[in-house]
Order: sequence, then structure tokens, then C-alpha cells
Amino acid sequence: MPATGRFQLESSLTKNQQEVSRASASSANTSRGLQWLWQHLSHLRHPHCFECGPIHQSTLDVLLLRGAKLYLSDLITPAQQTSSVYWSVSGKKQVFLIDKFMEQIPAIPPESLSTICCWGLLDLLPREVLPPLVERFHSFLQPGGVLFSILREPSVPKGVETRWWFESLTLLGSSDASQKPFPYPALTNREMERLFPGGNVKTFLTRSGRREVLGVRLP
Amino acid sequence: MLSVEGCLSTKAICVAQRFAADFSMFWEKKTRPVAEPPPFRPIEVPPPPPEVETIMTETKPKLANPSVAGSAHTLLGRTVMVHGQLAANEDLLIEGQFDGTINLEDHCLTVGTEGHVKAEVRARQVVILGSVTGNVAAREKVEIRRTGHVVGDLIAGTVAIEEGAYFKGSIDIARENESGVANEVAAPSALSSSA
Repeated sequence: MPATGRFQLESSLTKNQQEVSRASASSANTSRGLQWLWQHLSHLRHPHCFECGPIHQSTLDVLLLRGAKLYLSDLITPAQQTSSVYWSVSGKKQVFLIDKFMEQIPAIPPESLSTICCWGLLDLLPREVLPPLVERFHSFLQPGGVLFSILREPSVPKGVETRWWFESLTLLGSSDASQKPFPYPALTNREMERLFPGGNVKTFLTRSGRREVLGVRLP
Repeated sequence: MLSVEGCLSTKAICVAQRFAADFSMFWEKKTRPVAEPPPFRPIEVPPPPPEVETIMTETKPKLANPSVAGSAHTLLGRTVMVHGQLAANEDLLIEGQFDGTINLEDHCLTVGTEGHVKAEVRARQVVILGSVTGNVAAREKVEIRRTGHVVGDLIAGTVAIEEGAYFKGSIDIARENESGVANEVAAPSALSSSA
């Protein structure tokens, strides 16, 4: 537990956790987006977070041991599926079943979340799905809350199954073995600004061909 | 001691009573007592699939969770369906279906791979290899193994979820209050969000 009651960055790491982080640092990169995020939320004692990716124990440890309340549901794995579970055929056209997809979101009180980590989810879904999904996410965020996403650059054609997790609050672990091409064009920053109500979006470029995009809910 | 309130089939009663009475002795004969659960390692070799076959004919059942060996146990087998409230002062392994509330206080609940539980659960430790729908409060730890499927809210001292497990809900860690005394794990129905 943070001694001061604040959601601190690295100072609250236990010795054991620090060793784990150092040992795995070679497969993780410092994230400027996450640095900004936790600085932005540093006044919160018990932030409420929604993690949308496949479950990773390191993420649980990093967030829970620092006092966060965590909502979990893997939306990324269903978004990667091309099976008929989330698709129906209407004539010659395949239609994504957005309502069925939304059912995977757990019950979250409105305006309760400090942050939503949706990782690369927005790169995996059809364009028509994004407005209602981002709007739903926005409704979960408290004023000042942040939607954290990772978007690919157009120069990165493959990586659908890339996974991300927290190695520490600011170290982003990833597995990048996927050779599967992305099904949709890369989202632009302008599109993200249009998607996120209020358009308050911050973008951090990385060397891996990804952008860390943070949408901040206006007070 | 096992107490069950609610609807329980005759067969279920027979099974529960028989195993409440006999199974601890039976268990001690067939298994080596283990003082502490092995450390949970999320990405290592998966535990061998627990196979608790039909209880009445099984001569050597395999434990779903080795940590529950060595103490008194109750087993609800695959053919058992229970509706109601269950309270016990011993560890419980569920391979059948249970609908209602479970209160084990100082003991461990294991939901085996064949187990289907729709319940508000309160226990010292909970290990889930099967399906659980409902809120779970554990004073010490909740483990969801890779075959586990959980929809509900968890509150526990620690939570471990193996890769491949399905979980939809929220997780909250039982925190120390300002006086430094650990809060009691809230009753599942009292779980709520607070910013």
C-alpha cells in the first residue's frame, strides 16, 4: 500500500516487485503515455481501472497492489475472432454484432472510472463500431478520466495479435509475434479526435510504429 | 460440520451426508497432506486436469486442488444439484451444480472443472477451475485457473488469474483502513464501488 495514500509511481514498489520489473525490462519499454497517465491520476488514492485486454497476471499485480479497483473483461480476443460469434451475414455483407460484443463489457457505474486501458482494440474493429464503443467508454469515465489506447501507424501492416500488459506502472510489456495483417486502415489522429467526445486527445509517438493515444474526458 | 438449507435432491442429500462423514478419512488415506498451497505460477505448465469421477464408485479421486488435502472436506459430486444456503466448517469441493449462497468463513472452496456455481460465495480461499456466476469474497486469495469461467465481482486479499481463464467483472483488494487494521471482507452482497 502506498504509505502516503496516493497512487504513486515507482516509489511504492516492493523490493521483490522491483526485481521482477528489472528482470523483465528487456521485453518491456518505458511508455511516455503511461507516465503522463499516472501523473495525471496521481491525486487518486484508489483509481478505478477497466482493463480490456487478455488477462495478464502482471497487470493484476501492478494495479491491484497499488490500491486500484479493477474491472476486467477481455474485449480484444473477441475482436480478433472472425468466427460467426460476433458476425452475421446479411445478404452478401458481413455485419459485426455490436450489441453482442458490448455484452462482454462488465457492469460499470457511469462516470466512475479513472482510466480505461483498451490497448490496440480500436485497430481491430470495423469503423462503424467505433463511435458507439468509444461513446460507451466515455460514459464510464469520470471527469478527467482517461481512455488509453495504442494505435498502429499505417507503416505497421501486421500485428493483430499483439498483446500488451503492465510490467510496472510505466513499463509496457508486449508480445509482438503476430504476423496477421490488420483488417482495417490505420486510425488517424484526426479520426480519434472526432471519435472522442470533446476531442481532448493526446498522442505520444513511439519507436515501435505505434502511437499511444490518450483521450481525456473534460471536466 | 456441514449445514445446507434449501432444496436438495434425495440423492444429493445421500451424497453430501455420506461424504461429509466419510470423505475426510477417505481423503487422508489417499492423499499426502500438504501444509501450504504451492505458489501460483500463471504461465507455467498447467495443473493436471482434475478428474473427480462419479463419487460413489470412485476408489481414488484426484484432488482439484492439492492445497485442500489434509483437512476435513466435503465433496459435492458431479451428479449433485443443490439449491439453497450452504455453510460449512470444512473445505468444500464442488463438482456438481450449486445455486444459492455459500459461506465457508475460515475454509477453502474449490470449484472443480465440472462444477457450476451460481452463488454469493464467502470463504477464506477460493479456487475456481469450473464455472462461477456471482460475487466472491475471500479473506485470503481467489485463484482462477485456466479452465475457470467467472462472471462476478471479486474481493480478496490477493487474486491470481491464469492465462486462458475467462473473467468478467471487477476485482477489489481488501485494504487496510487508516488505523492499520485489515478490513473484514465484506459480505458479497455488500460489494460496491467507491471512488
